[in-house]
Amino acid sequence: MSQNLLHRFWNIISSVSVRAKILGMALMLILLLGAGVTWQVLHSLTYIVQSQLENESITSARDLAARAADPILLNDLVRLQRLLVETQQNNPDVRYAFILDKNGDILVHTFGAGFPPDLLTANDAGSSEHHHTIILQTNNELIWDTAVPIFNERAGTVRLGLSDARLRNAVQSLTIQLALMIAFVSALGILVATFLTFLLTRPVRELVSATQAVAKGDFSPRLARWADDEFGDLAEAFNAMTTELGNTNEIRQEREELRRQLLEKVIATQEDERRRIARELHDSTSQNLTSLMVGLKNLQDSCSEPNIENQAESLRRVAAQTLEEVHDISMRLRPRILDDLGLAAAMEQLTREWQARHKLPVDLVIHIGQERLPGEIETAIYRIVQESLTNAARYSGARSVSVLVERRGEQVIAIVEDDGRGFAPSLSPNERHLGLAGMRERAELLDGKLTIESWPGAGTSIHVQIPISASSLEEIKGNL
Amino acid sequence: MRNILLFISLFLLSACMVTPNIQPSAKVDLTDLQPLPTPSISETPLRVAVAAVISPKGTVESYSGLVNYLGEKTGRPVELVQRRTYMEVNDLLETSEVDLAFVCTSAYIAGQRDFGMELLAAPQVDGGTVYYSYLIVPMESQVRSMAHLKGKVFALTDPISLTGRAYPTTLVTQLGATPETFFKRTFFTYSHDEAIYAVANGLADGAGVDSLIYDYALSRDPALSGKVKIIHISPSFGIPPVVVNPNLRPQIKIELQNLLLDMSNDPVGRDALTAIGVEKFVIINDSSYESVRSLLDGIPLLFGLP
Repeated sequence: MSQNLLHRFWNIISSVSVRAKILGMALMLILLLGAGVTWQVLHSLTYIVQSQLENESITSARDLAARAADPILLNDLVRLQRLLVETQQNNPDVRYAFILDKNGDILVHTFGAGFPPDLLTANDAGSSEHHHTIILQTNNELIWDTAVPIFNERAGTVRLGLSDARLRNAVQSLTIQLALMIAFVSALGILVATFLTFLLTRPVRELVSATQAVAKGDFSPRLARWADDEFGDLAEAFNAMTTELGNTNEIRQEREELRRQLLEKVIATQEDERRRIARELHDSTSQNLTSLMVGLKNLQDSCSEPNIENQAESLRRVAAQTLEEVHDISMRLRPRILDDLGLAAAMEQLTREWQARHKLPVDLVIHIGQERLPGEIETAIYRIVQESLTNAARYSGARSVSVLVERRGEQVIAIVEDDGRGFAPSLSPNERHLGLAGMRERAELLDGKLTIESWPGAGTSIHVQIPISASSLEEIKGNL
Repeated sequence: MRNILLFISLFLLSACMVTPNIQPSAKVDLTDLQPLPTPSISETPLRVAVAAVISPKGTVESYSGLVNYLGEKTGRPVELVQRRTYMEVNDLLETSEVDLAFVCTSAYIAGQRDFGMELLAAPQVDGGTVYYSYLIVPMESQVRSMAHLKGKVFALTDPISLTGRAYPTTLVTQLGATPETFFKRTFFTYSHDEAIYAVANGLADGAGVDSLIYDYALSRDPALSGKVKIIHISPSFGIPPVVVNPNLRPQIKIELQNLLLDMSNDPVGRDALTAIGVEKFVIINDSSYESVRSLLDGIPLLFGLP
C-alpha cells in the first residue's frame, strides 16, 4: 500500500521537468523551513508568554495583597479602591481585580456597576497558601486568575485576573510578520530557482540538440563550457567524443572511397581486358579461322581424292564451328556492338542470342532515345541485365522473361522480370553466388540502386536505377 | 527520502513537545454583570476597637486572642475594628458604632470631655497602671536631650497621642519654641512601633513613644535594642484605658467589665493577656488621669481640642 503510494509519488516527481523539480525543491524547502520555524517560534513564544502571564498574575496579586492589608484592617475602602484602580492602570493586562473580606463578601472590585456572579466562586486560596492560580476561559480570552490570602486570610482575599488578549495580539502580529517573511523569501526563492534552472538546463538542452546533430552524421557541433562544474566536464567529454567520432568517420569515408576507386578500377580493367580479348578473338583468331576455312575449301575443290576431300570437308566444318564458338565467346566477353552502336543495339543482340540459345521468349522494351548514355552506365546496365538473364535461365525455370530499359529524366531504369520459381531474398544464403552482390555493387558504384523483389513461387523482379550525373553528360556531349 | 521524512517528523515532534497544555478550569462570562448581594448579618456582633498604637497587622496579631476570648465568653461574634487615627476611634465610640475600645490616654481625656466616654478597666503592667513617654534616638546618636534635637527630623505618632506628640511638644515648649520651628521636619507614623522603626532605621533623628509599646516591641524584636536608645523618660501617666461608649446597656457593660477582670484567672485568658503584654485588668478611676489632663490643658492649641 505504502510502497504503491511511494511508487506513484515517485512517478509524478520523475515525470515533471527538471525546472519544475528544482522549483518544487526550493519552494518545498522554504515552505517547510518557514512553517517549521513559525510553528516552533509561535509555540515557544506562546509558552513563554503564558508562563510570563502566570508569574505576572501571581506577582501582581501578591503585591496587591501586601498593600491591601492595612486599608482593610483600617476599613479604608477609598484607599482600597484606589489601590485596585492603580493596579489596573499600572498593568494594562489586568482584566479585573477585587478584594473579599474574611467572610467572603466583596469589599471592592473593578467591574463598576454589577459583578459577574460566576467569578466569585471560580477560585479560592486557603489561608496558608502562598497563592492559587487557575486559568479561566471567558468569551474571547484566557484569564490567569490568582487568589492570594491577605494577612493569612485574616484580612480577606485578593483576586486578580490577567488577560492574555494583549500578548495574544502580539503573537498574532508576529505570526503575520513571519508569514509575510516566508512569502517574500518564497518569491525570492522562485526567482533564484528559476535562474538556477536556466543555468542548469541550458547546457542540457544544448547537449540534446548537439546529440541529435551527431545522430544525423554531423560531427561539427561543439558545446561551450558554461561553468566549471559537472556540466562543464560533460560538455568537454562530449566535445572530445564528437571530435573522435568525426575523425573516425573521416577515416572510414576515406577507406570507403579507396575501396570504391579500387572496385571501379577492377571493373574497368576487367572490361578493358575483356574488350581486348574479344577484339583479339574477332580480329586475329576469327580471321585466321576464316583463312583456314577458305584454304580447306580450296583444298577440297582441287583434290580429286574422295578420302582427302571428305577429310577436308570434315575439318572445314570443325573450323566453322570453332569460328562460331570464338564469335560466341567474343560476343559474351564484350559485345563490340555495345561500344560501336550503343546500349539499345547491344540489348537487342543480347536478348536475341539468349532467346535462340535457351529457347525462351524474351519481351524486350527499350526507351532510351537516340542519345548515347555514358559508357560506364551502358556497361553497368548491360552487365546487370546479362547477369539477370543468366540467372533466370540457370535457376528460375521461367517460361518467359521481360526486359525493360528506360530513360526517365536524369535516370536510367532497367527491370528484368521472370515468372520462375523465385526465392526469399532475405533468406537467400547464396546471394553472392547468384551474382546479386556483384550486380548491386555495379549499381552502387554509379550511385545507383538495385532492388530485388522475389518470393518463392511468385517469380523474380530485379529493379535497377542509375542516375546520370551532369558531369558524365557533359563528357558525352564533348565526345560527340 | 526516508531520512527526510524522519527529520520532518522529529521536527514536528519537537514543536509539539513545547506546546503548552492549557486547560481552562472554568468558564466565566465577564460581561454578565449583576448587582452584588448585600452581606447578611445573622447576629449583631460585639465590636471592639483598638486604637492605632501599633500597626494594623500587629494589632490583629496581638489582640486576636483577646477577641476570641471575649467571643467565647459572651457567645457573640466579636469584630475587631481598627482606624488610622485615635480621633476616628473616638468618633466610632461617640456614634455607638463600637461597643468597647482600647484607646490612648489622651483620646480618653478628649472622649470623656466631649461625649462622656466611660472607663471600663485598665491594664496592669509591671504591677502598676501607669506608663511613660520615652524620648528615643538612634543608638549611635550624640543627642542626649530634647535640646540637642533642634533642627533635626522628629517622628510623631498620632496627632492626639500623649506620649508620641503631646509630651514631646511640652518638652519643646519648655525650651521656648514650637515643634514647627524647633524641628527641621516632623511627620506622623500613626503608630508607636512604626515610630520606633523610623528612629531605628535613621528615618527620624528622634521620637517620643509609649513606654509599654517600646518595651513590648523590644521584647518581640531584640535586634531593635541595638539600634535605639532612650535619652529621656517622662513622669508617669495614667495607662491607656479600656472604655465603652456611653450608650452601651449597663448590663453588658458590667458583663464585659467582669469578663476583663476575670481574665487572669482563666488559662485561655492569661494567654490572651500575655499576647498584649498585660498582667491583668483592674478597675481604674478617672482621677488617675488628672495629671495628664492638666498637661494637655497647657497646650490646647496644639491639639485643637475643644
